[in-house]
Amino acid sequence: MKKKLLAMALVTAMSLSLVACGGGSDSGSGSAEGSGESAGGAESTGVSITIFNTKSEIQDQFVEMAEEYSAATGVDVEIYYSSDTVAAHLATRYSANDPYTISMVDAKDVYSLGAEHAIDLSDEEWVANTDYAISVDGKVMGFPVCIEARGVMYNATAIEAITGEEFKPENYDTLDAFQGLLDQLVAGGMEAPTGIMKEDWSMGAHYLAQVYEEQSDVEAFVTSLHEGSADLANNEKWNSLMDTFDVLMKYNYAAGSPVAAEREVSEQKLAEGEIAFMFGGNWDWSMINAYDYSEKMGMMPVPQNTSDGSNKKLVGGGSKYFIIDSSENTSAEQQQAAKDFLNWLVFDEAGNKFLTEDCALVPAYSNINADALDPLSISVKAYADGGNLIGNYDYLPDDHYSKNGASFQKYLAGQVDRAGLASEIESYWSSTTPVEH
Amino acid sequence: MDDLNERAARNRKIRHAVSIVILIVLFICFIFPFILVLVNVFKTKADITSDPLALVGAHGFTLQNFPEAMKKMDFWRSFGNSAFITILSTILTILLASMAAYVIVRNKWKACGALFGMMIASMVIPFQVLMIPLVSLYGGVFGILNHRATLIFMHVGFSVSMATFMFHGAIHTNVPIALEEAGTIDGCSRWQIYWKIVFPLLKPTIATVAIIDAMAFWNDYLLPSLVLARKELYTIPIATQVFYGTYSTDIGLVMAALLLAMLPILILYMFLQRYIVEGVTSGAVK
Amino acid sequence: MDTSSMSFKCKQFLMFAGITTVTFVAVVILPFIYGLYLTFTSWDGVSRQKPFVGFANYVSTFADAAYWQALGRTFIYSIIAVVLVNVVAFILAFLVTSGVKGQNFFRAGFFIPNLIGGIVLGYIWKFVFNRAFVAIGESLSIGALSTSWLATTNGAMLCLIIVSVWQYAGYMMLIYVAGFMSVSADVLEAARIDGCTNMQSIIHISVPLMVSSFVQCLFLTITRCFMVYDVNLSLTNGEPFNSSVMAAMHVYNQAFTYKNYGTGQAEALILFIVCAVVGVLQVYIGKKAEVSA
Repeated sequence: MKKKLLAMALVTAMSLSLVACGGGSDSGSGSAEGSGESAGGAESTGVSITIFNTKSEIQDQFVEMAEEYSAATGVDVEIYYSSDTVAAHLATRYSANDPYTISMVDAKDVYSLGAEHAIDLSDEEWVANTDYAISVDGKVMGFPVCIEARGVMYNATAIEAITGEEFKPENYDTLDAFQGLLDQLVAGGMEAPTGIMKEDWSMGAHYLAQVYEEQSDVEAFVTSLHEGSADLANNEKWNSLMDTFDVLMKYNYAAGSPVAAEREVSEQKLAEGEIAFMFGGNWDWSMINAYDYSEKMGMMPVPQNTSDGSNKKLVGGGSKYFIIDSSENTSAEQQQAAKDFLNWLVFDEAGNKFLTEDCALVPAYSNINADALDPLSISVKAYADGGNLIGNYDYLPDDHYSKNGASFQKYLAGQVDRAGLASEIESYWSSTTPVEH
Repeated sequence: MDDLNERAARNRKIRHAVSIVILIVLFICFIFPFILVLVNVFKTKADITSDPLALVGAHGFTLQNFPEAMKKMDFWRSFGNSAFITILSTILTILLASMAAYVIVRNKWKACGALFGMMIASMVIPFQVLMIPLVSLYGGVFGILNHRATLIFMHVGFSVSMATFMFHGAIHTNVPIALEEAGTIDGCSRWQIYWKIVFPLLKPTIATVAIIDAMAFWNDYLLPSLVLARKELYTIPIATQVFYGTYSTDIGLVMAALLLAMLPILILYMFLQRYIVEGVTSGAVK
Repeated sequence: MDTSSMSFKCKQFLMFAGITTVTFVAVVILPFIYGLYLTFTSWDGVSRQKPFVGFANYVSTFADAAYWQALGRTFIYSIIAVVLVNVVAFILAFLVTSGVKGQNFFRAGFFIPNLIGGIVLGYIWKFVFNRAFVAIGESLSIGALSTSWLATTNGAMLCLIIVSVWQYAGYMMLIYVAGFMSVSADVLEAARIDGCTNMQSIIHISVPLMVSSFVQCLFLTITRCFMVYDVNLSLTNGEPFNSSVMAAMHVYNQAFTYKNYGTGQAEALILFIVCAVVGVLQVYIGKKAEVSA
């Protein structure tokens, strides 16, 4: 018995050590291969930069582009991605004195990281070509990667199949007209024509934020929330957007148990025309295109019974920003190589093609043409080009989406009424400190 | 009397049958999610979302998830890294922990008590507390991150408490002090006694610790993701994170990666199963 | 050889436990002390400045109602989960040691859940609760099943408990199996001859002899349940309405999502103290029971 065990242990140990050796040499050859590759293309400059990508849907394209870019320029580019919270991941990299040369972050991160961790990009040529760059203390630091916007996504193919006429979203920009269409769809056999994402970021950071962003003076309104002087329950925009939300809730396919709706399922239903409308943004395309999506889809403003014009505009702007690391861990050559890379994206044909065709992003630069976008992005670009975007408000506190999203979920589940939700949101604001900017 | 015996035998049979039925029901409950993985790994993402219960998706049977997952996670390189790190960490943990446990069990010194006490307490430290301080020290101050050896060092440091705890119990109960005394009389030093007498008696516990730690090292995500920030050093769990998006997860690839990564551990487990059961037996008896 | 001299002791200790001590202190204790220091700063996690603020983080920890709610919730979850895990594990262990056919096969099967971790586990169970159960409920018109449990506060808690039981029962079963095996067959046979039923011999003979297995299993389950994070994140992500946020998740959010690193660290430290107290208390009581048994 003991002998058997010993023999067994021996065999295991031996086989394992074999694997170990294999592992060692395997990884060795892997890195050798890597360096050989970069030497094979253009003259290697010996400079290597790292890029932290936070849009998982374009990771493949990014990796491919990096190889081509390295071959063409001789600058070695490595793309990294992390599924962790962006702030947590960057915190570990900064603590380890091992930051990425270029990091892709959200607008609010540019404000919190910029002063200490990003270099000044004010003198770059592309600054003149975009309306969306972010400045901190008067210095341009955030390079906008793309434009993204929120609104109601629609499946025109499914709608037209029932109504029998061409779907023109501009005809349904009031809530009354929109609800009329929903009733028509229900009568035509689509039992529940809408879906609602119950995720806290969708309701808290996107839908609720729209209440602030559509105010005539956003800053003043947020200040009044902080001071406790804003009367949300009687606010015109609040009631107008909540009226629309009530309609979306009424026709929700998951009305029986709305908080259990899974986003993957809702997106699939929209893509395949089982439902016709859902509040979201053009980033949702990365999910929709995994399914058998319909031919005619797009985005329209949130319908409202209003005359302030907000029902003719999407809400959005620059989304995801590149910052270049300013610490001593990043050399001047690396910073220059990083700047070159940003210029390549904006001014080189190959860079343009990467942004607009490979990644299907709506460009944030006036000199870049984009013809090969996905249907949602085509809508966004049309609104952006026409000047019909209501800007993002970038100074919401970090816990805003989580806490108010939870309150909003209660409303969705029918646990609080509109007045209750308003007072929960008001009490959140009065207990939080304003974000400096 | 015969009648009674017969009844007893019948009762036993019934009990046996009932046991088996209960076991099978529980077994299905336990294994059901795993079967879902097996069923869905051969489907496209669209089919998984629309009906995860269907045996074959609307788009038919596909093997596509496997090569795609392997390519995206650079499977063989990650596999090599994982194997190298897991094996070395496991062996070192076993050697170091069993030696420490030995000196702790056999001596009532203050240093032993202090070390053992700290080890027990450290088993309930939430890892989130140590995460940032760890990278600040080893990256910011010492600058030794991004080496496989650093990760092995940390794996050993984190797992040595639990392993010492287990060896402590095993030495306490399974190693008769009389044997050691006999060794002393024969003129062996403590070092020799340990390697010739004590260590061989610990085999079952060694098997247990080996499988538990190997499994933990193989599947660990958080620590390697902090230490290894270079692609060529990635282990399997870090290499698969690219399948998890902020807003969407490519579940087909995740499942394929899970199965591929699970295989070596599953084979090892099957292989060592009875020794693990025996190992836990000896470890648990105090 | 003088075995009681200081230099002998030092040499022995260093020879056997030297490397272990150095490694353990370097990897666990040093970062822990540094972490302790960080609880006295108002660091946000990414800034270069770490301003010293004294006990301010502990003050805000005590004022953080959401944290105490999460901790209370973790208590409730842990108590129920720990009891259920151990009951199920004990029953499983009893069944697979009662001499039925294919025990090894069953032992392996119950152990397999240990091999599925992280996000996949959450995804699969989410599907089971959200759709498989609902489909079954609708087709059999069982009211309790026809809406997803994950959509309600108590339901989400129940789901977390079920998944925990599923995850840990097989592992703990192995330790109980060991306990059952350590009870000698002679004692059980004697009891049977004395006319004990199966039930009686388990309660009066096996259980008292297995106290050390209980102590081990309880220590492991209690500490794991108190620090639950992965399953919490992948199964419920705190939903619905942040009502299923457990302590560890709140700590993580506080530190990284809300960017109050110092406060998060202080809250984590209090979680650690609670865990340690509960764990040690349980081991202490168990040891006493062992002695008296």
